[in-house]
Amino acid sequence: MSPTLIHLDRVTLGYGQKVILRDITVTIRQGEYFGLVGPNGAGKTTLLKAMLGILKPSGGTRTATHPEGRPLRFGYVPQRDSIDSVLPYTSSAVVMMGRFRQMGLFRLPGRADTAATLRALAHVGVEDLGAKVFRDLSGGQKQRVLIARALASDPDILILDEPTNGMDLTSRTAMLELIDGLHRRERLTIIMVSHLLDDVANHVEQIAIVEKDFFRVGDVREILTPAHLSALYGMPVKVDSLHGHYVVTVGGAHESN
Amino acid sequence: MSPTEILTTLFSEFPYALYGSILVGIACAFLGVHIVAKRVVFLGAVLTQVSVLGLTLTFLPFIAIPHTLGALGATLATVVIISRLLTGKKIPRDAVLGVVFVTSVTARLLILQKTARVEVAEIENLLRGDILFVTPEIFYLMLTGFVIAAVAHLLFYKEFTFVSFDPDTAAAQGYRAGTWEMVFYLIAGMVISLATHMVGDLFVFGFLVIPPVTALLLTRNVRAIVLIAVSIGVVAPVIGLYLAFLLDVPASPAIVGVASAGLAGAWLWSTAAPRRA
Repeated sequence: MSPTLIHLDRVTLGYGQKVILRDITVTIRQGEYFGLVGPNGAGKTTLLKAMLGILKPSGGTRTATHPEGRPLRFGYVPQRDSIDSVLPYTSSAVVMMGRFRQMGLFRLPGRADTAATLRALAHVGVEDLGAKVFRDLSGGQKQRVLIARALASDPDILILDEPTNGMDLTSRTAMLELIDGLHRRERLTIIMVSHLLDDVANHVEQIAIVEKDFFRVGDVREILTPAHLSALYGMPVKVDSLHGHYVVTVGGAHESN
Repeated sequence: MSPTEILTTLFSEFPYALYGSILVGIACAFLGVHIVAKRVVFLGAVLTQVSVLGLTLTFLPFIAIPHTLGALGATLATVVIISRLLTGKKIPRDAVLGVVFVTSVTARLLILQKTARVEVAEIENLLRGDILFVTPEIFYLMLTGFVIAAVAHLLFYKEFTFVSFDPDTAAAQGYRAGTWEMVFYLIAGMVISLATHMVGDLFVFGFLVIPPVTALLLTRNVRAIVLIAVSIGVVAPVIGLYLAFLLDVPASPAIVGVASAGLAGAWLWSTAAPRRA
């Protein structure tokens, strides 16, 4: 069994007095492709922040350590719409930010950092966008640049928050293939958060379903059952397989694709 | 007066007015780029008013501290209190700033009404800053404040940039985003407080906003934006002071007027040639 990177043990999460999630236990292992799925406002981002260590649990414990004993390096890819910059930073400058933590205090970017930035841009197929202003890019291009920034930090875990949100079918498919490739080729540990069940179910190995007063985690085949999904959505749900892909039908209609 | 006579008078009779205006112009324009980028432009207006309130408080008989210390103390204390509210999501940023702004102005007016130690007009003069009578002491104090701000931005460029651009990812990478925001606002508060005491609230707020916006209209390169804004901070005070002497108008509005004219020109230029801007 692969070593554990993150372990949340019976944690309670919330903001101030408000509890969002209670009694959550989840383990992320090295090399895993983990999906976090649930409706909007269910607490996915809250759970993600707890995994990242940004949000401290009000109950339970969080451990996050690399097998070598050092702190984990997170490559976080936020929802691209959360970044709305007034200053016209180039894509290269945005990717360079991923190197800042490794540089430490008082050091300016050197040749190695510039090379790592270019490599990261090439890695996600947008080496030609380095000189372009980030805020002028399309949604798909921005997402790739943000993934490049996360990769430039040489992460132990890549965490993507709603990476396909608002994308057309072509861009969405290309984005999911890119993420699949990062996992398959490099055995990169990936956590993908999405409210789109199809995106997560057909790509990840482990899945957690998050909803108020409902939390299930495990292997996709164990979790993606009509019983679990019916409880999640509060209506009858069917789970079929078509050409090896899960097809989820909610309340008589195919789940949004 | 001929142009030569005006310039000679400025250099010989009011050297600290000239150097002080340029210093504040540079400091505020530089800080203003970051303040505009953070979308907290109103913070400049608020902190100038808090600084003025701090000055006013020093006229109360039971607060016997130097004016500059009063302005600085009130501003930094306010920054510490509001920086958490500015990064929180419970109350909108502009609402937080609006409350502090109106409270500061109200408190100042009430205190002035009850101050009997000196003429209110004299206090108002001091509170609003008098460019022509900038003293060497306040000039060097401002210079020290600017050097601290510039060195901090040089040393912590990466941290300020990352936290300002994407605080969530910066936090995920281990940066204490709230602490870095606080450091930035404290530095801004220090500069704004000293500058307001030196040249007045109109000049300070004007130069926190106008040069950065002008630069944003003229270029799409971050370094060039800083360079253009700072250049406006150097040039506009010189032209403004010259015009103030020439036309016999108050110095501060003349200087801000020159900067505004530059902004109008930049806007026309960018509208006429959007592809160049």
